[in-house]
Amino acid sequence: MTAPALPTISYLDPSVLARIGNLELLARTVVEGFINGLHRSPLLGASTDFAEHRAYMPGDDIRRIDWRLFARSDRHYVKEYEADTNTNFNVILDISPSMRYGASADDGRPSKLTYACYLAACLTYFSSLQRDRVALATIDHDIVDYVPPSAKHLQLILHTLDRVDRKGRDAKVTPGRSTLLAPLRKLSETMRRRSFVVLISDFYEDPDQVIDALSHLRGRGNDLIVFHLLDPRELNFSFSDASNFIDMETGDKMPIIPEYLRQQYRELVREHTAALAKRIGESRADYSVFDTSKPLDRALFAFLSARQRFNRVR
Amino acid sequence: MNFLAPAFLAGLAAIAVPVIIHLIHRERRVVVEFPSLMFLQRIPYRSVRRQKIRHLLLLLLRCVALALLVAAFARPFFERRRAALSTTGAREVVVLLDRSSSMGYADRWTKAKDAARKVVTGLSAGDRATLVLFANDASVASEPMATPDRIIAAINAAKLSAEGTRYGAALKLASQILAASTLPRREVVVITDFQKIGWANHNEIVFPRGTTVTPVDLGGASSSDVAVSQVTTDRDSTPQRDRVTVAARLINTSAATKAVAATLSIGGRDVQTQRAILPASGAQQVAFTPIAVPSGATKGVVHITPDSLTPDDVLNFTIAPDEAVPVLIVEPTNPRENQSLFLSRALAIGDRPSFRIDVKRVDALTPRDFDGRALVVLDEVAPPTGPVGARLRALIDGGGGLVVAPGGSRTETWPAEWRALLPAVGQTVDRTNDAGGTLSSVDYAHPIFEIFNAPRSGDFSTARFLRYRALTAQPGMTILARFDDGSPALVERLVGRGKLLTWASSLDSYWTNLPLQPVFLPFVHQLGKHAGRYADPRPWFTAGEVLDLSRHGELTAPFLSGRAADSTTELVLEAPSGQRERVTAGGPNHMITLREQGFYELRGRDTPVGSGRPIAVNVDPAESDLSHLDPQDMVAAVTAVNGQRQPGGDVFASTPQEQEQRQKVWWYLLLGALLLMGIETLLSNRLSKAMSP
Repeated sequence: MTAPALPTISYLDPSVLARIGNLELLARTVVEGFINGLHRSPLLGASTDFAEHRAYMPGDDIRRIDWRLFARSDRHYVKEYEADTNTNFNVILDISPSMRYGASADDGRPSKLTYACYLAACLTYFSSLQRDRVALATIDHDIVDYVPPSAKHLQLILHTLDRVDRKGRDAKVTPGRSTLLAPLRKLSETMRRRSFVVLISDFYEDPDQVIDALSHLRGRGNDLIVFHLLDPRELNFSFSDASNFIDMETGDKMPIIPEYLRQQYRELVREHTAALAKRIGESRADYSVFDTSKPLDRALFAFLSARQRFNRVR
Repeated sequence: MNFLAPAFLAGLAAIAVPVIIHLIHRERRVVVEFPSLMFLQRIPYRSVRRQKIRHLLLLLLRCVALALLVAAFARPFFERRRAALSTTGAREVVVLLDRSSSMGYADRWTKAKDAARKVVTGLSAGDRATLVLFANDASVASEPMATPDRIIAAINAAKLSAEGTRYGAALKLASQILAASTLPRREVVVITDFQKIGWANHNEIVFPRGTTVTPVDLGGASSSDVAVSQVTTDRDSTPQRDRVTVAARLINTSAATKAVAATLSIGGRDVQTQRAILPASGAQQVAFTPIAVPSGATKGVVHITPDSLTPDDVLNFTIAPDEAVPVLIVEPTNPRENQSLFLSRALAIGDRPSFRIDVKRVDALTPRDFDGRALVVLDEVAPPTGPVGARLRALIDGGGGLVVAPGGSRTETWPAEWRALLPAVGQTVDRTNDAGGTLSSVDYAHPIFEIFNAPRSGDFSTARFLRYRALTAQPGMTILARFDDGSPALVERLVGRGKLLTWASSLDSYWTNLPLQPVFLPFVHQLGKHAGRYADPRPWFTAGEVLDLSRHGELTAPFLSGRAADSTTELVLEAPSGQRERVTAGGPNHMITLREQGFYELRGRDTPVGSGRPIAVNVDPAESDLSHLDPQDMVAAVTAVNGQRQPGGDVFASTPQEQEQRQKVWWYLLLGALLLMGIETLLSNRLSKAMSP
């Protein structure tokens, strides 16, 4: 998915955001700046007031009957507002060891995990503005943290993200194989309402396994957006010196001469992301690959577009 | 090819380093954490390529550069195995021909030239010969590539020198010529009288191995000689007369008693003749009756009956009239009683040198008062201004001396141009309360104080200074003595060619008791000699000696006074042979080697010929000592290796060190290594850029 061009908002640059210690401030900075940018966008149009009419069902509060419409049509309709259409907004964040990769002191680029935390914070804040019930789950080979959905859990989620981010920066990487299947299956079982689910991961798994894991979420009627985060070096493999490469997930070592493997590696990554895009798209979820050196507004825009599309479909 | 330091070849093992870098090290030196090797593991195992050597040219360059570097340190050389000394092969012949004064004995010089010609005519085709003439020093008279005809012409043109004999310089030169030679056979022919006095065993002079040294001994054990070895002139100066007594020392080196007649000539005219009987291997002093001192510098000669060695039968000298240092002491208009008495009396004592002292009041000074002065003393007098001051300044610039004792005068009213030259003169320091100050620091390395350096050679600590002026030295000034409170006592500044000295206390006993101390007399004498640029006059010089005109003001002074004195004023020095040379008193070309026996004449450019200052030059008296050296001693010394005598010149080759030093192969190897490293750097940079994404 390619996002339309937006006015450049320099403070959305990850390296700039990395200097902001407070996640709430960061999220507010990003989201409000982003919304200000959207005001000039032709795609603006989402209303938060009236949403639709629904036929009166026994048990509905009679105060919500649209009496004006009753006067015109002589039928009872209940007025539904956006507040009533709000869903649960779940962020599922992969915090496996491989997500800690990418921190660069040279250009201030954050790690994938930090970037993911920013992204999760921004999306949560954004949804909180929409008065959605927000929830967070961090996963590894299992569920690590879980914040249940609530309109009041913004601060808790931000706090959890902050802790995850700090732990990811400070703690030494201990290899460990992580899979999406088990934690996503557990999570899907906890979602009793139809939810809006954002999954943030680097997806170092076979596409079939990924689809298998995602099917549990989609099977419950959840709207799913998948953000695939990759560091620029994971995309380009721009290493120069021959080195011993250590797998952060498994601890495996492998002597590599980058210049000889670069082309094949890029090809395989391209095939992997293409396969994921195709398979996830087929399951009616939205999929985006993100370079962690790129500004966050692309992710927000992708999220907003997907949300609008899902709204229209609904 | 051989190596001087083969142990360094072990460094060739370092060649393995680039190979290791290529094969192993480079891949393993960096550990990179990567999110997942999922994709990399799917790629066919291409990293096996690390086992292959990449960039063969780069590897080759590194290996060759290292090999060259190691080889350079091992000091390689190509050994030149020469054939055993035989009649085959071209020769490098160096002919050392002694032309010292002693070679003038009898017919030695003729024989020496005949011997040299014989050597040259005996050269075969391909042989090379070099003629080296030596006496006090050595010089190449013909280049190694010269044809025999030109060498013989050089031999014919060679002339006897008046200088002494020194073998060291000649042997060293021959050694250098042979060391640079590439011919298989080397030979040195030493044609000399083997005078023992010229030989000092120079262990450091050793000819290359295999060099044949052929001595041609022209001396003899039975040489006999009578010579004039020394002349002294004793002055007897009284107010009525100024006479000089000339005495000559005659030596006899023969084994028989000799009767000789010694004649004294003054100004080219024989004055007296004395007869003496010289004992065998003995000496005798011959004193001539006193004669009146001539009005100007006059040539004097003592000569004896000529014998087999004529150059030392004559000894030239000069007699100059009283060369007293003219001193002018300037007193204030109203001086204290006996203000300059101590100074003038102290200077008046002694005759080496004698000081001619005039005392004048400052108000009576005229510019002409400074004419011919070597030293002016301003005794508590402000430096003069106007024409008098300008003349005084010119005197100093031209080499004269000025001693200033400010005493109690008001220095702030002194002319600014003089104050700029003098140290800042502050208030009077009164030390009457603490029994007076002393001189605590004296620069004994300075010519004024150097005679006081030895133990019991003068004690300045007994002198008390009750008052003195606080001097502050300016940049460019030298503090020669300090009082015990650190204040400068004597400050020197060089102005032009002259010297300006400032004395902080008084020159009489008004402020200090120094004039009452024993050191006062030598102190003021040294002060006067130093400031007045006095140098002990030399009645004669030795051939081969270097005359430094800047140190002999008595020779140049007559041609510099009365005009704007300038050390670069051009003078003419005419040798006894008539050869003229332009010299200066202190500028360029002020040092001249006196090579000829006889009288040189120094004169100004406008001085008529014959009216200049004569400078007497004699042969080295040591040349009269004809003691003979065994030629084999010299041959053994110059052909020895590590103190051991070589076996009969069986192998004709230099030592490995010499060969290596001559060939300098390591230098080329080092250059090659550096060049290759440069190319390697360029190439590897280019390859790195090409490989980087």
